Amino acid sequence: MTSFKTFYLSRILGRNVYDTNGKFIGVVKDLLIDTGPATANQTPPFGRPVVAGIRLKIRNELKLFSFRYFEITKINRKIDVTGHQLVELPIENIHNGLFLGEVILDKQIVDLNGRKLVRVNDVRLVSLSEGTYAIAVDVGVEGLLRRIGISHPLKTLLSFLKISIPAKFILWDDVEAIDFSNYNIKLSKPYSKLHTLHPSDLADIIEELGKSTSTNVFSALDEEKAADVLEELEKDTQIHIIESLPLEKVADVLEKMPADEVADILDGLEDEKAESLLNEMEAESSQEVREILEYPDRTVGSLMNTEVLAFNENRTVDEVISEFRSLRPEADELYNLFVIDDKEELVATFSLRDLVVSQPNVMLKQIMKTNPIYIYDDQEIDDVAEIISKYNLLALPVVNRNNQLEGMVIIDDVVEDLIDKRRTNR
Amino acid sequence: MLKGRGRSIFKKIALFLAILGPGIITGSVDNDAGGITTYSVAGALYGYNLIWTLIPSFIVLVVIQEMNARMGIVTGKGLADLIRENAGVKVTFFIFIGLLIADIGNTTTEFAGVAGSMEIFGISKYISVPIVSFLIWLLVVKGTYKMAERIFLIFSVSLLTYVISALMGKPHWSEIGSSIIHPRFKVDSQSIAMVIGLVGTTIAPWMQFYMQSSVIEKGLKMKNFKYTLIDIVVGCIATVVVAFFIMVACASTLGEHGIKIEEAKDAALALKPLAGTLASAVFAFGLFVASIFSATILPLATAFYVCEAFGFEAGIDKKWEEAPEFYVLYTSILVIAAAIILIPNAPLISISLWSQVINGILLPVVLICMILLVNNKRIMGNYTNKPINNMIGWTAVIVLVGLSAMLLLMPLFNS
Repeated sequence: MTSFKTFYLSRILGRNVYDTNGKFIGVVKDLLIDTGPATANQTPPFGRPVVAGIRLKIRNELKLFSFRYFEITKINRKIDVTGHQLVELPIENIHNGLFLGEVILDKQIVDLNGRKLVRVNDVRLVSLSEGTYAIAVDVGVEGLLRRIGISHPLKTLLSFLKISIPAKFILWDDVEAIDFSNYNIKLSKPYSKLHTLHPSDLADIIEELGKSTSTNVFSALDEEKAADVLEELEKDTQIHIIESLPLEKVADVLEKMPADEVADILDGLEDEKAESLLNEMEAESSQEVREILEYPDRTVGSLMNTEVLAFNENRTVDEVISEFRSLRPEADELYNLFVIDDKEELVATFSLRDLVVSQPNVMLKQIMKTNPIYIYDDQEIDDVAEIISKYNLLALPVVNRNNQLEGMVIIDDVVEDLIDKRRTNR
Repeated sequence: MLKGRGRSIFKKIALFLAILGPGIITGSVDNDAGGITTYSVAGALYGYNLIWTLIPSFIVLVVIQEMNARMGIVTGKGLADLIRENAGVKVTFFIFIGLLIADIGNTTTEFAGVAGSMEIFGISKYISVPIVSFLIWLLVVKGTYKMAERIFLIFSVSLLTYVISALMGKPHWSEIGSSIIHPRFKVDSQSIAMVIGLVGTTIAPWMQFYMQSSVIEKGLKMKNFKYTLIDIVVGCIATVVVAFFIMVACASTLGEHGIKIEEAKDAALALKPLAGTLASAVFAFGLFVASIFSATILPLATAFYVCEAFGFEAGIDKKWEEAPEFYVLYTSILVIAAAIILIPNAPLISISLWSQVINGILLPVVLICMILLVNNKRIMGNYTNKPINNMIGWTAVIVLVGLSAMLLLMPLFNS
């Protein structure tokens, strides 16, 4: 049989199902798709999820049947659903089942290519001889009109005027369902496609979600990704996420973040909550955060990054590089290197470039630049931007009044601060 | 150690000020040109007789806005989102087409307010309306909306000038008191229409959407709900107090002299010989501020909810290319409304009347959706309605539906 039929979910829902003798069975309530990994010998065509089950309402009772014995026929735009055999499908048999009507239709989903939330107006399915598959979601105006039931007449009308209604589809591979608030089935790996998104985009999406959904999506991220995303979120959403997740989980994520960002977040929380988070975090991380929290608002100290790489001037290039290999520091730290003396006072700066192009046995004092530009930790944040732009720096070392190195301010943080200020002025 | 942040009375006041806003802004927008017109006409036509309607309106208003705020805080989702996700496309379509048409009508009324109030100061509507609508459009598209909202909020204090207008008309307080204690209600189609109009303008459907969104935007929390509640009550009191004084102002002057009016502008003009030039100018200024405030928020809010419900990108922080549907919709509402006003001899009164009727029909539908949503445990968790909220909500629905049905059936019995 070379049948190749495409149809829309909205045309199936609510339709009467008959058996092969034309006897009424029930009404279609939903379709269940299997998004789980396809078995080795049965790769679905185009890698799309297969429709595994059909939920029917039979005499006021909802029942799930295997879709294998159902047939969709389309004659002159009229769709019929025929059930050849009723085989009940236990929901446990499907590992990653999604009810299309419940989780996809009318819900917001993530468009992975457009990196934004879209609302699903309809789902397009294709029926082949080997099975029925969900191929795309319809997010366009046409889908909307179809649901209301005026798509066809309007299209005919507009075709006289040579106007076409734009249809907008997104392929199944490029979407991820996120709203499971009406759902009571636990999925084994929800939101897995979201990991491909950049943390900033993910943060934008999470901000737009409802409260329970945003928490669910966030908690599905691994700690590293979660830390990056948390850093990018707006204040309100940060606080909401932190308050709705278990303390240990939040502490683990915070440990992965730079101390100045953590201090910023904790400042927005209630004292007791912030204190219990600090206690839950590892001592080393929480100590750094506490130090920053002691600085008054709007001083350089409250913005600085305390993770810096500083070495004695008598160390050799080789020693420093091998220390990098064992420490594996973040890029921000690696690009801004400092020389301190025995009293931890800032002596000089040196660059990764100088280090890499020098011979292994050269000492730091031979390649370092003395008289570094620096700023005191109790100076105003506003001074940083001026100095950074004047000297064309990417980061600025911060010292206390005893000239001891306390940390550095990165240009990123300064820009963020400036943007925040412009926003609040508006 | 964390910085010392003592919990003092100042901290509490600061917290309240931070939370303040959604309720009070919504309350101020509520007294728009349409509202002022309805209150003026009611006062002029029925004297003090319909003032009692403000009391049940106030109770229902508080209950509804409390539900909106609670839904917004708990779910973090707009009312349009929730309706679309739970009621399906057809109900959503019905509500939002109705809302769109009613709001174009309402925006037209706002521009009528702008035109009318400026005419009292001697400025032709062919000058004031194009300039005002262009400025409003620019304000939003250029993204300085937030600042504008704050300025409007300060200006909305000028609505209290109606108190002055009312006092200048030397009202009879004992009569006002007795009409509130012993409400009189003549059952005929005109007074039923008036009551529906009064309730419909005080509890406009689009405001439920607006309230819920602004609560979300503020990032409020359930923990501080009592402050939100204060905000709502203050906003509702402001609405009702202003409405009260407009009705009193018109009742004690126009009502007693049997002067009939059809527009808010007429009220301002008619006040002149009876309560003095100042009272008239004050009334006109209040009308102008209220009209601009609502003419800014209404098209914006409408475009936003329609886009939210149908899944288009929306928001003033988006660029034109990112959210074309939103901006086209917003601009169209503004342009259509302004254009209708500029048509010579446009049937403004029927437009205003019909948009109120659509509002009146939509209100119970939106209310039913809201009550069903707010009682849904899957959506609201532990924050579903208490029986008293449901009782007041359902009573309001039944009374409104009853009144609308009476209004429609009345001609059949009279003939």
